[in-house]
Amino acid sequence: MNWIKKFYSNHPKFAKYSFIYGFLAIPLTFYVVFYLFPNILSVYYSFMKWSGLSDPKFIGLQNYTRLFNDPFFYESLSHNLFLMLLVPFITISIALVLAFFLARGKSKVHDILQALFFVPNIISSVVIGLLWAFIYNGDFGLLNTIFGLFGVDMDGFWWLGNVNTALLALVPVYVWVNVGFYTLIFTNAIKGIPDSLYESAILDGATEGQILRKIVIPMIMGVISVSALFLVLMTFRSYDLVLILTGGGPGGATQVVGLYMFSMVFQILGTAARTPSYGYASAIGIILFIILIIAKFIIDKITKSDDIEY
Amino acid sequence: MKKRNSIFAEILLAFWASLIILPLIWIVYVSLKTNYEFYLNPWALPESLQFENYINAIITLNLGPVFLNTLYFVFGGLIVGVAVNTLAAYILTRLEWKGKKFILGLIMLSLFLPGINILVPQYVLAVFFKLNNSLTGLILLINVALSAFDILLMSSFMRSIPKELEESARIDGATMWVIFWKIIFPLSMPGIITISIFRFLNLYNDFINPFIYLTDPSKHTVAVSVYYANTVLRYTSNYVTLFAAIVVSLVPTLVIYAIFQKRVVAGATIGAVKG
Repeated sequence: MNWIKKFYSNHPKFAKYSFIYGFLAIPLTFYVVFYLFPNILSVYYSFMKWSGLSDPKFIGLQNYTRLFNDPFFYESLSHNLFLMLLVPFITISIALVLAFFLARGKSKVHDILQALFFVPNIISSVVIGLLWAFIYNGDFGLLNTIFGLFGVDMDGFWWLGNVNTALLALVPVYVWVNVGFYTLIFTNAIKGIPDSLYESAILDGATEGQILRKIVIPMIMGVISVSALFLVLMTFRSYDLVLILTGGGPGGATQVVGLYMFSMVFQILGTAARTPSYGYASAIGIILFIILIIAKFIIDKITKSDDIEY
Repeated sequence: MKKRNSIFAEILLAFWASLIILPLIWIVYVSLKTNYEFYLNPWALPESLQFENYINAIITLNLGPVFLNTLYFVFGGLIVGVAVNTLAAYILTRLEWKGKKFILGLIMLSLFLPGINILVPQYVLAVFFKLNNSLTGLILLINVALSAFDILLMSSFMRSIPKELEESARIDGATMWVIFWKIIFPLSMPGIITISIFRFLNLYNDFINPFIYLTDPSKHTVAVSVYYANTVLRYTSNYVTLFAAIVVSLVPTLVIYAIFQKRVVAGATIGAVKG
């Protein structure tokens, strides 16, 4: 064994590179094979017709033509759009107000509140899904009970089972989960605003609302816009909550693109079984890829713009 | 800011806090009721505490083996993932070598890629390499690969270690491994703890991956188990047991969060949005 040690100490460069390649090789390989290469593979599969059982069959652009004529795909996209408009707007509005008040309060209580607000963010999506399914439950749900307290009899209304309300019902779930995280980000950003900026406003007797609107928001506009865009993208990509809450139902009323793609290959509980379609799923994936890459470029262009100086 | 909050502000904060606490408290006390009490009035407090609901939950969910599966899945993954990424962070950010920039670029690529489109091909590849329907296979699939997020986080923690320590150790004739293990590793402990906590939460809460890859019920993790239990227990209208199951699955998450809450909150903002 000693000659190995001798060899290594006499050849530092060899020692260094064998250390580097030794510890990097396998993780790097896994990364390239299972996380980078599948991007290329998904292009390849998108040109195939494959049920996962027999061999794949090359069908050219047929998956794409089918996709462009697929009403379910467009319906899913419209649902995504609906969520992408409502969720970020509501989440950030609430987070801003909460962050504004949290940043001002300097007591232990406020620190605890900050930590508490973050809790929904760390809970598993299964628990969140089931929790909100129970809140929306027709027979014993929290929501209907609250309506009952105000004298409105919801008569066992199933929020997640009604084609008209199901999608809208998803919005509070996403908001509930994400507010904590953005409250955190905004609180940190607001704490960075120098006190001098508030002085003249306070002397003039400005209200909290005015301070929030005229001073705080413009000062952290950079953080707000990046957060908003981040949230929009995340809402677009997310499908596990929808999977657990509604499985895309009822009758496709809450179907989102990510879930649509997922359902092409994997069986979702409570939906009709279908023969897997790896090729079609891959085509959907490629279209989503293109949409998201374009969105990323647009975002990068926009956020290059004005940074406010103090 | 010197100005204190108005009552209105404090009420608003309390309101949101209650929106978070109330559903969770509701789950806990429903889990201690009987089904009869539940149907009578979902909102009333239990007459007497039905701890047997928890026993039932453990039996129906087969929680013994499922918990062991989850333990293996989470801690196995934790050790592998943290080891891999800590070493990788050291190699990629503190050493100079040919090809480093290229490899770093490859890794940062993952931050630009949407990730949603690799679901299907990744599954095909995993099946090809026989990593599916195996807890060990899934651990490897998820945790051996380099993680851009972890490496970025670790690098910011490793930055503060003075280079002189490495240099003097090298002059004293220490091997690369010794330098890493005796110097870098201990001094990066805050970073290691942070990425461990995040990896723990992500692994424990991971639903999609075990759902897709672990078809054998005997291999299920807690997250998947609760999902399937939902169908079974709803069908039999055995809600109180289901609620108990949810509470059980929540305990590890909340415990870890309660202990490490400061680090979670700090780490979440490091990797996130900059103004």
